Amino acid sequence: MNDEQTLQQAEKLLAPFNKETLHPETHRLDVVVTSEDLHAAVTALHDAKWGYLCAITGLDNGPEANNLEALYHFAQDSVVTTLRVRAPRSPAASVPTIADIIPPAVFFERELHEMLGFDVKGLSDSSRLFLPDDFPPEVYPMRADFKQDQPVPVIEVGSETFPNEPTKIGNTFIVPIGPQHPALKEPGHFEFTVDGEVVTGVRMRLGYAHRGIEKAAESRNWIQNLYLFERVCGICSHIHATAYCMGVENLAHVEVPARAQAIRELVSGLERIHSHLLWLGVAAHEAGFDTLFMYSWRDRETVMNILENLTGNRVHYSANVLGGVKFDVDLEHARTIKEGLDYLEGRVRHYLEVVTTDAMLLQRTRGIGTITRAEAERYGLLGPTARASGVIRDIRVEAPYGAYHRFPISAIVETAGDLEARLVVRLKEMLVSCFTLRTIVDNLPAGELTARMPRKVPAGETISRVEAPRGELFYFIKSNGTENPARVHIRTPSLCNWTSVLEKAVGHQLADIPMMIAGMDPCFSCNDRLVTVVRPNESRTWTWRELREYGIEHYRDLKNISEA
Amino acid sequence: MEKIIVKTDQMWKQVLNQVQDWSRLNSLWAIHFNSGSCNGCDIEILATLTPRYDVERFGIKLKGSPRHADILIATGPVTRQARERLLRVYEQMPAPKFVVAVGTCSISGGAFLGCYNTLGGIDQVIPVDVFIPGCPPRPEAIVDGIIQLLTALKTGTFTAPQKPIVVQENWL
Repeated sequence: MNDEQTLQQAEKLLAPFNKETLHPETHRLDVVVTSEDLHAAVTALHDAKWGYLCAITGLDNGPEANNLEALYHFAQDSVVTTLRVRAPRSPAASVPTIADIIPPAVFFERELHEMLGFDVKGLSDSSRLFLPDDFPPEVYPMRADFKQDQPVPVIEVGSETFPNEPTKIGNTFIVPIGPQHPALKEPGHFEFTVDGEVVTGVRMRLGYAHRGIEKAAESRNWIQNLYLFERVCGICSHIHATAYCMGVENLAHVEVPARAQAIRELVSGLERIHSHLLWLGVAAHEAGFDTLFMYSWRDRETVMNILENLTGNRVHYSANVLGGVKFDVDLEHARTIKEGLDYLEGRVRHYLEVVTTDAMLLQRTRGIGTITRAEAERYGLLGPTARASGVIRDIRVEAPYGAYHRFPISAIVETAGDLEARLVVRLKEMLVSCFTLRTIVDNLPAGELTARMPRKVPAGETISRVEAPRGELFYFIKSNGTENPARVHIRTPSLCNWTSVLEKAVGHQLADIPMMIAGMDPCFSCNDRLVTVVRPNESRTWTWRELREYGIEHYRDLKNISEA
Repeated sequence: MEKIIVKTDQMWKQVLNQVQDWSRLNSLWAIHFNSGSCNGCDIEILATLTPRYDVERFGIKLKGSPRHADILIATGPVTRQARERLLRVYEQMPAPKFVVAVGTCSISGGAFLGCYNTLGGIDQVIPVDVFIPGCPPRPEAIVDGIIQLLTALKTGTFTAPQKPIVVQENWL
């Protein structure tokens, strides 16, 4: 089905609720619906299996318009359909929850509630997700009248409402984990309810790393924002900048030269290899396989060398500028890249053999945390986590952007859905990246590196979706024709993948939790965290390290493996 | 008679202190805390532990518990929600304790300066002994910062936090 037909299908499905239709871009359809019709409209799309929910963006149209908007973005292939619900600012703008139809929407709705003050009717959990616990109630940071430098009271010791100490309710124990999880992109705080050894419930608190980037973006100009968005994540900084650049170039109607697009794909491929090797090491560490951790991080330095050689920096490469890229790839670079890739390809093949044959590792990965295809679709999983469960969800294939038309990649899909499949998917993706990168280096299109960008970006709204190492990254950018963006909304892949941890941890052994978190949320960057665990019989405090060792011991005893 | 006892007591204390200092300087244990950084510094800190940079050759080891740690390696601009945790981790560490702030945003707020949910640096919350600038600093710079701390402690020239150590950019 081509884009045209997909669009027509969506328009037909939404016809009964349609109050106004807009076509902001060729592949987009905006439908204005009333908040009463929203639930039915979402049901119509969901029942017809039209696409999946990408994100919910909240917009404040300013004091003059005096209304708020909630934008529900659904995507199928490269087509994005947006349901726009307009609501007056006061009394509280209200929308019905759609989490009963689409479970992962609960995170988006909680964000909508606390950032813009939408009253989401029927929201199961309206506790704070991103903002600090003592943030004044009824102050909504993404509203136009909130100024980022306005004084907000500082959190006082002891005001955290989430339980910090292990607590006992009846026969079950609540085990808090985190937030000294420097490992996660969003240092999460988990609360596992355990009955003996088995996890019976999970809650999560994010927001320890919430800095307020989206608000800050509104007061910085288009160029300054490029460097701000690179710093959303240190592991996948290039892809954030790429998504932002693509959106702004789209708004300004600037055509990026082919050579620059190819170099962008080259850097994002290298970034993917570095990110996956990093994750492989951390996952191996959680399984007690430190040798693999050290080896994979040693090999990761090969990619870091290539990146440093190309861009001059190891982590925030700043390869992108608005309208193109900053540096060229010459023959000398091409030679070092290919040498590095040859070495890495050999190593990745070796790791692939290790993770599929090593008996100790397989006990921690095979059949653990299995997510079926239906579940993956229901939870709205993205990226390698979804692909390990047989769902082809890869923007590079579904909706190719930039140079992916010229240098396509093949999506790697595994069907087992367990931790082993997630390891295999990521390792195989590195092999695909190695292959594609060689093709790019050999066939770099000639031409300019940058196109001229205007200082002011024409008014409009755009959506850019790219494939980050962890899954689909979604940017919504709104310009009102000035030097600053009016609104930038980011939906990172990790936010969607959290559902899998929360749903899947239930019923698993406590010993599996470190691996489950490592395996399901791939954004890990550090290896040691602090965890307090109290078991029912012996009241004792455990560190994360002890929990990890306990996990290793547990499996050793279970399989009667001798110390040797 | 009394004087002699006092003297041996002092000597004994002195020897004990020397042994303590010697062992501490040769096996400095660290804990890492992310107070809302972008992860760039955190992966570079982790890289210093892995084979290429191998900070363990100086006796430095990353520990999971603040109660085992001598140095707190902190990153990030300190978000409001993380502030209390940072304080708590710092308070749980046994004295003497040293704080190393890694990355530009842990020094001044960096790219996140002015964001409504950040406080603008580790030193806004706890005293910092070593500042390592860079966005993110290279692993060599992180190693250099810790070695400068060790050297200052060994030679007795340690004056932080009144006059903290700042890793210069010409570390190469």
